[in-house]
Amino acid sequence: MLLTFVTIAVLTTAGVAVAANGGFTPPAPHSPNAARTNDAYYVILGFTGAIFLLVESLLVTFVWKYRRRGRPRTVDGAQVHGNTRLELIWTVIPVIILCVIGLVVFYELPGISNAPAATNPIRITVEGHQFYWQFDYPNGARSINDLYAPVDQVVDLTVESADVIHSWWIPELGGKIQAIPGHTNHIWFKANQVGTYVGQCAELCGLYHASMEARVIVGSSAQYTSFISKAAVTDLGRAEFQGACATCHGMQGQGGYGPNLSSNPLLTQPAALTAIVRDGRNLMPAVGDTWTAAQMQALAKYVKAHIYKGASTSG
Amino acid sequence: MAVSTRSEAVYPVTWKSGRVARWLVTVDHKRIGIMYIATSLFFFVLGGILAVLMRSQLATPNETLLTKNSYNEVLTMHGTTMIFLVVVPILAGFGNFLVPLMIGARDMAFPRLNALSYWLYLLGGIVLWGSWFATGGTAKAGWWSYPTLSEMQFSPGHGQDYWILSIHILTLASLAGAINFVVTIVNMRARGMSWMRMPLFVWSMLAYGVMLLVALPALSAAVTLLLLDRQAGTHFFIPSQGGSIVLYQHMFWFFGHPEVYIMVLPVMGMISEILPVFSRKPIFGYKAVAFSTVGIAFFSMLVWAHHMFTTGLGVGLDSFFMISSMVIAVPTGIKIFNWIATAWRGNLIFDTPMLFAIGFIALFTMGGLSGIFLAAFPVDWQVNDSYYVVAHFHYVLFGGSAFGFFGGLYYWWPKMFGRMLDERLGKWFFWLLFVGFNMTFLPQHMLGLLGMPRRIYTYHHGGLWEVYNMISTIGSGVMVIAVGVFVASIWIAHGLRRGVRAGNDPWLADTLEWYTTSPPPEHNFDSIPYVTSARPLRDLRRRLAEQA
Repeated sequence: MLLTFVTIAVLTTAGVAVAANGGFTPPAPHSPNAARTNDAYYVILGFTGAIFLLVESLLVTFVWKYRRRGRPRTVDGAQVHGNTRLELIWTVIPVIILCVIGLVVFYELPGISNAPAATNPIRITVEGHQFYWQFDYPNGARSINDLYAPVDQVVDLTVESADVIHSWWIPELGGKIQAIPGHTNHIWFKANQVGTYVGQCAELCGLYHASMEARVIVGSSAQYTSFISKAAVTDLGRAEFQGACATCHGMQGQGGYGPNLSSNPLLTQPAALTAIVRDGRNLMPAVGDTWTAAQMQALAKYVKAHIYKGASTSG
Repeated sequence: MAVSTRSEAVYPVTWKSGRVARWLVTVDHKRIGIMYIATSLFFFVLGGILAVLMRSQLATPNETLLTKNSYNEVLTMHGTTMIFLVVVPILAGFGNFLVPLMIGARDMAFPRLNALSYWLYLLGGIVLWGSWFATGGTAKAGWWSYPTLSEMQFSPGHGQDYWILSIHILTLASLAGAINFVVTIVNMRARGMSWMRMPLFVWSMLAYGVMLLVALPALSAAVTLLLLDRQAGTHFFIPSQGGSIVLYQHMFWFFGHPEVYIMVLPVMGMISEILPVFSRKPIFGYKAVAFSTVGIAFFSMLVWAHHMFTTGLGVGLDSFFMISSMVIAVPTGIKIFNWIATAWRGNLIFDTPMLFAIGFIALFTMGGLSGIFLAAFPVDWQVNDSYYVVAHFHYVLFGGSAFGFFGGLYYWWPKMFGRMLDERLGKWFFWLLFVGFNMTFLPQHMLGLLGMPRRIYTYHHGGLWEVYNMISTIGSGVMVIAVGVFVASIWIAHGLRRGVRAGNDPWLADTLEWYTTSPPPEHNFDSIPYVTSARPLRDLRRRLAEQA
């Protein structure tokens, strides 16, 4: 038993030495729902921590105090069969503690599951794909893997999936919610600080589950407006290639899990490119099955200009 | 005096008594139990190798030992193997060996059905592990096999079909076993063994049987529908054609949560047998422990959707399943406090089984308490599907179930094989496993809170991610050494025949299995005593002492 404590103590010290919270609590919250989740976490940590210490120290104490001390096996301990009052105590007290935890959860719940009222939320649709995230903004703009959002405003996310189950999770901005095909979910955040918040898909979604990362880039209201009206359009081709294609084909189209693209003349034929991106082929999933014509044009333009290096015969 | 000669032997030796054949044709519950346990331990080693492969892949960022493809195979096979081929069947093995002996019966109620369940289990294991050779490799969709990832479109090849087939076979094996346990326990107890004199392990096997009977059909149905989707063109779980994925999640977890208690309750029963014997005391609060077993079994059927808090069920359902999940903590707490009270004022003997029993209490408490965080659904939204959950269920299923069944193995080994395992190696095994276990799984709580999702084959973060992952991997190495020590101690006791011969009752225990010889004869008992309390053997010892 001593060793549990030694192990815990060593790890605790090491952890605390390396970083402020060291993974002992959820990360510092940057959205009210994440903050209230952390509040609930601390309350539960308080109660469970106390119970943990009580149980383990009783165990260690008894193990030490009532050890054999060389007595023969035939020596009996006290032949106590039970005690009704004790049974009642360790039934009722946990019930009370659990009620308190339950009440705390219900007290924190509205601030976690419901977005603050009387605001005009920005509604963005998050669509999970094998293996990228696609974001649709109210003005029709679209981005891949990077979600742009204004600071201090409620952002309501509609979470969907085009293929398999994914799970949306940006730890600093709240909990996670599954992106399920045929099922619409909602989650919200209100980032309190300009910055970039990272997260990744939390539900096994296939080969590149580990690569399915998302960034939430929070800027001022003006930066957000400028992004969705300009950058999202001019930069879309690059974002699509790097978010959806590069996972398998490499950032320069040099190949990886998928074949080398840089000398594939298909890249210069928009119709054929659209067909393969929309429908997939062999191992390649239908990555662009929900892409618009404008998106396909953006992709074709980008790959022709930046990825295609000419039909190589020399290699 | 005339010497009579016989033309035929009194006890004819047929081919059925051959060294190997007597195991292949047996319907003896003890042999079947031992075969169950041996096969489970074999699969434990296989599943452990997969675990070590995963830990090696995750030791450092951007590691390339396993490819993303094989990593998904390995994680699926590790989970499926450990649950369906190790923990559930090893408990069936203990139950088979012990239940008839503990209740003073000659065998299980249906010996032939019993043999069938073992052979079906072995077949299921062979089908699952044979799927490494299937077109496209093994199943890759995790042990839950959530559609649509497990549908033909996203999991082509036959691995997923073999997975479904093996689950079907294993389900049949477990159902047959479950019926057998329930019938045996209800009908075949020795004279005088009323419900309140039944060993607590037998109580837990009764709960195990009933829970399997209720939970398994849901799993069979779910994987049958999945098979139809894949092979017969139906679309139960294909949303684009009107199917529902959430339905699969409900069906799977309606089985999946009782399954957790199926894997833990019998082990709790073992702890309730071991602790009193090595404390030289009766169990504290027999009735409370027995009824809490029934309580856990009942409530385990009502908590399944706490695995689905991030599915988006709505606050109403989430609240119900939070409350029901917290309710189940109460009977679990009752057990833990009663065990600790059993040690109070005892004469504690720290032989290996006792070390594992105490280790079980220490580790299971940790796994139970981290479960409270997961039951509180807003907190679950943060930690669900992260390494926090991986840590949590390993504290329950390894720190709990595996520590418990290793304790049980050391405790009942002399009864099964007639020889003691070496105590010194046993203590090494325990301490290495205990330290290695905590090194492996404690840091995974932190990894989860740092944002590491489960089932990723690699990561690129350095810093704390790397530190904790490295500690975890080193811990898994320590556990490998521990298992090596265990294998060595079996070799020394039996291969080298250095194990001390155990008498009928080496631990001075309380229950009927220690009344007969070690190992017991085929008919178990020459005579079965009338049972006068929950500790029949202690009663006998005292009566003998009074007569002497």
